[in-house]
Amino acid sequence: MSDRDAYTALVCSLPNSERLFIAKKPPLSRLRLDSRLKALTVADAEVLARLEHVLSWNEYAVDITDAVALKRVRDALKVIRQPALRKIVHERMEMRTAMSALRLRRDGLAPPAGAFGFGRWARHIPAHWAESCFGLGAALPWLKEAQRLIESDDPLALERHLLDTSYLMLKRHAARHQFDFEAVAIYVLIWNIFDRWAQSDASAAARRFEFLAHAAMAQLGDIRFEGEPA
Amino acid sequence: MNELVMALGWLGIYAPMALGAVASAIGCAIAGQASIGAMTETDGGYGRFVGISAFPSTFVIYGIVIMFTLNREVTPENSPGLFGVGILAGIAMLYCGIWQGRACASAINAAKEKPEIFGLALAPAAIIEGFGVFAFVFALVISGGISG
Repeated sequence: MSDRDAYTALVCSLPNSERLFIAKKPPLSRLRLDSRLKALTVADAEVLARLEHVLSWNEYAVDITDAVALKRVRDALKVIRQPALRKIVHERMEMRTAMSALRLRRDGLAPPAGAFGFGRWARHIPAHWAESCFGLGAALPWLKEAQRLIESDDPLALERHLLDTSYLMLKRHAARHQFDFEAVAIYVLIWNIFDRWAQSDASAAARRFEFLAHAAMAQLGDIRFEGEPA
Repeated sequence: MNELVMALGWLGIYAPMALGAVASAIGCAIAGQASIGAMTETDGGYGRFVGISAFPSTFVIYGIVIMFTLNREVTPENSPGLFGVGILAGIAMLYCGIWQGRACASAINAAKEKPEIFGLALAPAAIIEGFGVFAFVFALVISGGISG
């Protein structure tokens, strides 16, 4: 059998990726996913680890510098040989570059000197700093909505929009891969998006809890304990 | 030269059987792996998965029938005909078997979560089977014109 059928059993042992987003409870835990991924060859497991190391936000320290992040991407691309996976890395890093530029511009910073970030638009973005969507509205259709959300200061909706966009990008690549290693890698990346999606719900819940707790504490001043003088 | 021509004739006789066996082996292996994977994810319907994974086994049967139909005394006159019909029928079986295995694997992957599409999901595999039957039937028809 050829490489295109290399992971037929593994792919069929995973719940459909679309089910991840509609299920009331996660159909597949990370523990169970990792257990299934033991079927990967050593080389493929290494590529997948590099891919996640680059694309998963959980793998980044808060204070990581641009230079370190870019080196991590370039090092990973030396190991990732599959054209589809390389394309995914490029697309995602270009997305992060554009988002990073939007945030810098919102904070009133001047355009960076020279190239900024990673990918095709590294020089284009600083050169078109003042334009709406950096003049990339047609090339990156999702950027317009991202710009609107970042300007309206709605981080949760922005996070959802970016997760949606990343998910659609991955689904587009997934259509060309069914039972090969790329299909497995794309599945894991979609699982990571699902995980962040679920976490963003948890974050919203935490914010809501904090708001309610503050509101409750604010009313504490009105409470008169038994025996307390009025 | 005659020896080479006659060797090609023998190759033509056995090719449908050999390539049909290879097709069935690969096709069943692909679909079989899919059924094993699906069994780990589902709680029932295992028999159906195993049944689908045996679909590509028909190609070795077609190959055997074509082989017996082509089997005759090999001469320099009929060797080119045997070679042409046998090899091309074998290649057709080979591709049909491998791709039917992939179609079955896709059907299993889809039907494991939506059992209601089980029948429809098998349509591509059935269509591929139809192409294999075309190659099989017309190999039998055309072999009637080969001398010997």
